[in-house]
Amino acid sequence: MSLMEEIIAAVDDMPPFPQVVQRAMQALADPEYEVVGLVDILKVDQAITASILKLCNSAYFGLPRKVSSLREAVVYLGANQLRQLLLSGAASKIFEKPNAGYTVFADELWRHALATAVMAQVLRQSRRLNINENTLFTAALLHDVGKVVLSNFVADKYRDIEKMVEGGESSFQEAEKKVLGFDHADIGGKIAEKWEFPQSIITAIAFHHEPARAAKEFRVLTELVALSNNLAVMVGYGTGVDGLACRGHGLLLKKLKITDQGMEELVMLFQLEMAKTCEVAGVDED
Amino acid sequence: MALVTVGIADLKVSKDPEDTLVTYSLGACIGLAVYDPVVKVGGLLHYMLPDSSINKEKAATHPAMFANKGIPLLFKQCYSLGADKQRLIIKVAGASQIMDNAGAFNIGKRNYAILRKMFWKNNIRIAGEDIGGNVNRTMYMEIRDGKINLKVSKKGMIEL
Ligand SMILES: [Fe+2]
Ligand SMILES: [Fe+2]
Repeated sequence: MSLMEEIIAAVDDMPPFPQVVQRAMQALADPEYEVVGLVDILKVDQAITASILKLCNSAYFGLPRKVSSLREAVVYLGANQLRQLLLSGAASKIFEKPNAGYTVFADELWRHALATAVMAQVLRQSRRLNINENTLFTAALLHDVGKVVLSNFVADKYRDIEKMVEGGESSFQEAEKKVLGFDHADIGGKIAEKWEFPQSIITAIAFHHEPARAAKEFRVLTELVALSNNLAVMVGYGTGVDGLACRGHGLLLKKLKITDQGMEELVMLFQLEMAKTCEVAGVDED
Repeated sequence: MALVTVGIADLKVSKDPEDTLVTYSLGACIGLAVYDPVVKVGGLLHYMLPDSSINKEKAATHPAMFANKGIPLLFKQCYSLGADKQRLIIKVAGASQIMDNAGAFNIGKRNYAILRKMFWKNNIRIAGEDIGGNVNRTMYMEIRDGKINLKVSKKGMIEL
């Protein structure tokens, strides 16, 4: 088997993305979603039900009395918190797998995923962009999922990739492409396909380092994920292995009319929001 | 030995010789370490942004997020533990950037520029620094002797 074939086989072996979460996302995509319908979707999964109640009753919210009904918790938390909790819960299981090639970076990979999703949310809100929040959050959260699979295979080639990045000419993703013939974004796209995600999300994941290659109808989403990734890495929420060796898409800042000061405001809003999200997702911010 | 974490947009000072102050994931942010070797008082600041004029409210609640608020606060807190301005040894790390020829993602550069300007105005000398590049840094300070170690992606451990 060629390396690519081996990796495709590994993608096939990946656990499915939880159906319950996917269905809940579809329900939440409608701004006037029915609480009853949502509860019906969620209640079949005991672990998810427990995590929703746990969050609702956590010190973070400091409610005066204990909430014990799923319905009440769903109403109390609202779409935003539910989305963060459900998606980050599902994604964390995928990212947590220790990976051999990019060893010890599982935590950082996960932190980077969350940071990129939070950055995307802040970007969307502050620029008042008309783009579906579920889709954006999901794509941003999972944009580097290819690294989870790829890292299990590149152990021996990893030194070559690293050396090329050290040279200073290539970004990490470009080095992957030169050494392996493909990169983690290609693999991420394959994983999203396997999970039967909508084409928009598949595209955004597959082209998050080269948004100009995305099909026109998904270009804006892909650009937002690319820019959120850039900003998260810049601030220091990178994936560890690659440092800041990530190609910047400065044109996207211009396109969204983000000035130097606008970028500073974004970073500030991001940091405040990130602290909250880490609380909800149960992640150590540092 | 206690490992004291300085979060992002945070600062800590100590005079406990058992303490190691550490701050992780310095990208465009700056880690500023100050140490008085006579009284053995040290402080570490991890700021994200150059100037708090973008939001007066947050400047008050999150001073360590901004250079213009966090730097004076760091010095002040070290003075209150007995440090003396003339004796302070200053070390700086961070201000990295992603790969971007046009220099649009320039917060790191501006974080460093404002620090230089503030130090120049106040006659403060930098004893050691590791600035810029496409790397991620973790910064450690030993309160016992003021030693600063940096873990730099692609380079490993270096002493500053
Ligand atoms: Fe990536
Ligand atoms: Fe990324």
